[in-house]
Amino acid sequence: MNSANMRSSSFLPRFWRYFLSVLLIASITAIFFALREVLDTTLVALLYLIPLGMITAFWGFGPGITSAWITFLTFNYFFIEPYYTFTVHQATDVVVLVVFLIVAVVISQLVGRAQAGLAAATARELEATQLYELSTALTGLHDDHAIAQILAKQVHAVSQGEYVELNILGTDPFSFHLPEISTPPRPPELIVSIQAPRGLLGEIRLWRGAAPAISASERRLLQTFASQGALALERAWLAQAESRAKVLEESDRLKSAILSSVSHELRTPLSTIKAAASSLRSKEVSWDSPARTQLVAAIDDEADHLNMLVGNLLDMSRIESGALKPKREWNILSEIVGSVLGRMRHLVEEHEIEIEVPENLPLVPVDYVQMEQVFTNLVSNSLKYAPVNTVIRIRAQVEDESIHVQVSNQGPQVPTEHLERIFDKFYRITAADRVTGTGLGLSICKGIIEANGGRIWAENIADGLAFNFTLPLTWDGTKPPPLPMDTETE
Amino acid sequence: MSNAPHILVIDDEPQILRAIRTILTEKGFRVTTASRAEEGLTLAATNEPDIVILDLGLPDMDGVEVCKRLREWTQCPIIILSVRDSERDKVAALDMGADDYLTKPFGIEELLARVRVALRHSTRTQGTQSKVVRAGPLTIDLSWHIVKRGEDEVKLTGNEYKLLAFLAANHGRVLTHQNLLTNVWGPADADHTEYLRVYMRQLRKKLEPDPERPQYILTEPGIGYRFIADE
Repeated sequence: MNSANMRSSSFLPRFWRYFLSVLLIASITAIFFALREVLDTTLVALLYLIPLGMITAFWGFGPGITSAWITFLTFNYFFIEPYYTFTVHQATDVVVLVVFLIVAVVISQLVGRAQAGLAAATARELEATQLYELSTALTGLHDDHAIAQILAKQVHAVSQGEYVELNILGTDPFSFHLPEISTPPRPPELIVSIQAPRGLLGEIRLWRGAAPAISASERRLLQTFASQGALALERAWLAQAESRAKVLEESDRLKSAILSSVSHELRTPLSTIKAAASSLRSKEVSWDSPARTQLVAAIDDEADHLNMLVGNLLDMSRIESGALKPKREWNILSEIVGSVLGRMRHLVEEHEIEIEVPENLPLVPVDYVQMEQVFTNLVSNSLKYAPVNTVIRIRAQVEDESIHVQVSNQGPQVPTEHLERIFDKFYRITAADRVTGTGLGLSICKGIIEANGGRIWAENIADGLAFNFTLPLTWDGTKPPPLPMDTETE
Repeated sequence: MSNAPHILVIDDEPQILRAIRTILTEKGFRVTTASRAEEGLTLAATNEPDIVILDLGLPDMDGVEVCKRLREWTQCPIIILSVRDSERDKVAALDMGADDYLTKPFGIEELLARVRVALRHSTRTQGTQSKVVRAGPLTIDLSWHIVKRGEDEVKLTGNEYKLLAFLAANHGRVLTHQNLLTNVWGPADADHTEYLRVYMRQLRKKLEPDPERPQYILTEPGIGYRFIADE
């Protein structure tokens, strides 16, 4: 910061400081002139030193030294005989004049230097405070956008600039500017690069506007700001890289889990198909034996099973990568349930299915295909765990602003502490080899329901286990559109 | 066997080509195969097949584009093959002029059923259209606008009848939401699938023995609807 700017006098423009100094000297001279008869010449000289000291102290060295010279002249003109001339007759008066001039100049210089020193110290302290504030604000930030924002704010505050722009490079370049106006149509007054050991990270561009030109000390402070910013950015990016590495490690671990689960699961139906197909080929099985029909049925069933496994894996990877975008439309829940059970009719033969889904339920804004997937997975899960000849119940009703759906079975209950975790990937309560499946069905349900704006949970009921989920009745806050008019009968 | 229907199969997977060729030849069809879209389009132009079976996932051209090119000069039925979860592509191809679809992996009965329906519709365009469609206890007389369930006439609203008549006239074929909506309500309402949901529920209630497990008006998830009539 310019040291002159830091003083209290900085609020007064240069002209006013000189003008006020001259005005003060003039008024003091007028007072002394009125009292000329009673005041001794030497006393006047001494009294003149008071305003001189004050002027230097308040308004600086320039006005001080100027006032000293003016005082010297007025003193000579008005108070040393002969009056109203600049000539001096008496030797003592010469001495008084010379001593006055020396003292006045020395006082001005001393006071001025002390003031300048004080101003410099204040400026340095302010600089230190600003730097401290900046580094405190930057501490603990791990987001490069937040860092850029803080940096821009501080630069803007400190420089009192008209417009500050930060251009951050890196893997994902961005720019941040203050205030929220468009960039001034001229080149910036100052560009400071944000430099780190491993290269250029960005730059600060400053438009100062009508304010005074940028001084060397300001430039230096902004450089320091830039290096603080560079440090913070590097730290943030390192932290990000580290967390990315952690995520990769985690997904790597998950992938191996998927691979081991999948290879086991895929091999089971494949083995059946291979065995059945090769025995059909070997002519060991005669063309019209019942065994042949069974083998062919096994190949068909296991191929469907394989297809379902692959579908589950695809769904899961889509949910994981956030690519599961529901194609929401206004749908009728009972149509979805009916179509799922129609397709599963051979699988549900050994269980009793009870459906309590009123057909006059309001329309729900969901993805039809995905909701079919949810019902398929929940019913399959129930079929897998619930004993044969027990009841699987599908119920739906309106509750508040949503539809509450429950798929319950009379299978084994789940310990309370596991109820939430059964929606996790590959989570199984029973040993994996006792039940077939990828362990993905329920987590796919969770992904789909949440993508469609609902919530899913499991609970133990009196005679078994129930899966519950909700579906919204409004879509972006709106209800389904009304149907157009129709003629009564044809 | 020169009168046997000629089927062109375009798919880049040799195993699928082999399986389809074996089965269709066994069933008495003449089969030509192509593994690339360009080759398939050339064969279609020179051989003028009765049916084209087209895989949507060809390496050299988008399947929807192939449909478009075929439709520029031929009305021969196109059955598309695609994997699960590509409803968007299927709907695009169907709206671009394909007649039906099969999701891989598919059963051979499904394939043969689609081929039969496609052949029937292609011969129909040349000959007379059957005016009465029967499905179980249902009789839909398209020229007299009468729908009967057993001996009893079923009262339908104007749009219900329009919808049912369009489905029945195209029985066996999948009809996309957009196709149905455009034909019954007009192009301005082509996005209102909820109209279809509500009207299908009403139709099923009036026509199906068990509306919750429909046998005649089937939902094709994410695609549209299909009306199943007696063969």
